[in-house]
Amino acid sequence: MDLKLSDWYDIARDTNWTPRYVTEEALFPPQFSDPHGIPVSEWEKFDEPYKVTYRDYVRTQREKDVGAYSVKSALSRVEFYKKADPGWKSLLQMHFGAVPFVEYGSVSAFARITRFGKGPGMRNMANFGTLDEIRHTQIQMFFAYEFLSVDRAFDWAHKAPNTDNWVIMSERHCFDDIEHTRDAVSAAIMTNFSFEQGFTNLQFIALSADAKRYGDYSFAAMLQTVQSDEARHSQIGEPLIQIMIDNGKKAEAQKLIDISFWRVWKQFSALSGIAFDYYTPLAQRESSLKEFVHEFVTTQFLRNVNALGLEKPWYWDEHFLPDVDTFHHAQQIGIYLYRETEWWDPVAGVSPPERDWLEQKYPGWNDTFGQVWDVITDNIRQGRLDRTKPRPLPMMCAMTGLELTGVPGKHWKVKDHTLDLDGRRYHFGSVVDKWIFEQEPARYKKYLGFIDRFVAGQMPPGPDGVFEYMNMAPEERGTCGTNYAWVEAFRLAS
Amino acid sequence: MTAFALVCNYEGDYGMKLLMVDSNDTMDDVARIARENIASVFVPEPPPGTHLRVRKHGGEEFIAHALTVADEGFVSMETVDIIHVRD
Repeated sequence: MDLKLSDWYDIARDTNWTPRYVTEEALFPPQFSDPHGIPVSEWEKFDEPYKVTYRDYVRTQREKDVGAYSVKSALSRVEFYKKADPGWKSLLQMHFGAVPFVEYGSVSAFARITRFGKGPGMRNMANFGTLDEIRHTQIQMFFAYEFLSVDRAFDWAHKAPNTDNWVIMSERHCFDDIEHTRDAVSAAIMTNFSFEQGFTNLQFIALSADAKRYGDYSFAAMLQTVQSDEARHSQIGEPLIQIMIDNGKKAEAQKLIDISFWRVWKQFSALSGIAFDYYTPLAQRESSLKEFVHEFVTTQFLRNVNALGLEKPWYWDEHFLPDVDTFHHAQQIGIYLYRETEWWDPVAGVSPPERDWLEQKYPGWNDTFGQVWDVITDNIRQGRLDRTKPRPLPMMCAMTGLELTGVPGKHWKVKDHTLDLDGRRYHFGSVVDKWIFEQEPARYKKYLGFIDRFVAGQMPPGPDGVFEYMNMAPEERGTCGTNYAWVEAFRLAS
Repeated sequence: MTAFALVCNYEGDYGMKLLMVDSNDTMDDVARIARENIASVFVPEPPPGTHLRVRKHGGEEFIAHALTVADEGFVSMETVDIIHVRD
């Protein structure tokens, strides 16, 4: 007689026991496991919505891999890449340098949740999560490496985390904070609920839609198959938060969400925002970042938050929503001008029809961000290419590690939110970044960001010093993805 | 003479810049250095009939032209606004 899954699943995954040779505290040190003192009996109520057995997991994942890898095999990726739009190349180069190592980091994050989670169901799901993230690392590095023969940028799929490139430093700061340096409960709420449920749909589903429209079916298939795993293991967050709330820890859960949502938003704003609004070829853009955020983040994430009886983060209306309209536009200017500091070849994405699209999607763009692009465009048109490679380094936010930006041009508004602590001045790009720091100064205060290290003299001297520090040989430094051809449209228009 | 780091918020720019000056530089020197590095790279050159003044970020009062970085007692990576003023 075959047993149904429902007959044995709960028993099979109930792996708790009463320790006899060590204390519960020694087995589950609070700083690694649960600092809130919630009884084990409560953690044992953890009930994941999507249940899977190991046997089913292996079968399903194998089917997914066959699907994704067969699509890749059927389509000659190298030839596709050679003929791809420069913006699409920028997107692929950026994605494959920025994402794989974060996936790989999540392997150990889930493994820690597996070891230190007090709920058996939570440990079980995290165990599958570890395997998922190994898969995500492998598949993305494998897809990236196919292009290595035609573009050196894809070496950064592996190289990136072994450098102190400023973009990578920014990512490491964020994901080390939310995934790798907290107890299992906090890491799970921040990673599975805020990061994965809040944002991975942006980079993996929304981007997949653009990829399909562009005709990059292999990349689209890869993104979708990665996201199918996220949908399962990101569910760890909600039952966890429910247990926190049931045990009087609602405020603690809320704060963890408030911190992590903003931290991850800043990363995805730059990564996904630039991909959607500047790199995806105009004709293939499904939606703007703002529209995707409304669909995947504002609507879905807030629904999940409300369903748990939590509040939307305190900064939502006054800081988050305006930021959706502005932050990535400012970052794109810096990404383009400081392109030599990146491993990918950025495109500008501001030809006349692209500017029209940007103005339509973000009214006022031409009077603000467009004013800076006017200067850049004129410089290139006049042959003053040296002026498209700025001398002064950009100031960076002490929390995000990204440029400290605001709104330029006719509605100029750039604000530095400073904090003086222990004889040092910290600079933040927003009220929220400063607030995050103030929640736990000891966690953040000793960190030196890229600009801090430059000022402290930690980088080699000379004009190539920052590049040597980032381990970037001349041939690895980004160049304009279209070799400035994008200004030709302005010549023709005039 | 000592190298000194300022965070520069140049009017019209999209973001702040690290400006390396000297502690003996006057505010006019700071404005000039900012202009040399930022005008016609990120923002247009100042229009005719304007000059640049320096103030502490978010402040109301401009710092006197001839005061130096050292005189003003800036902290390392003090944030200054560089503002266009009509002559």
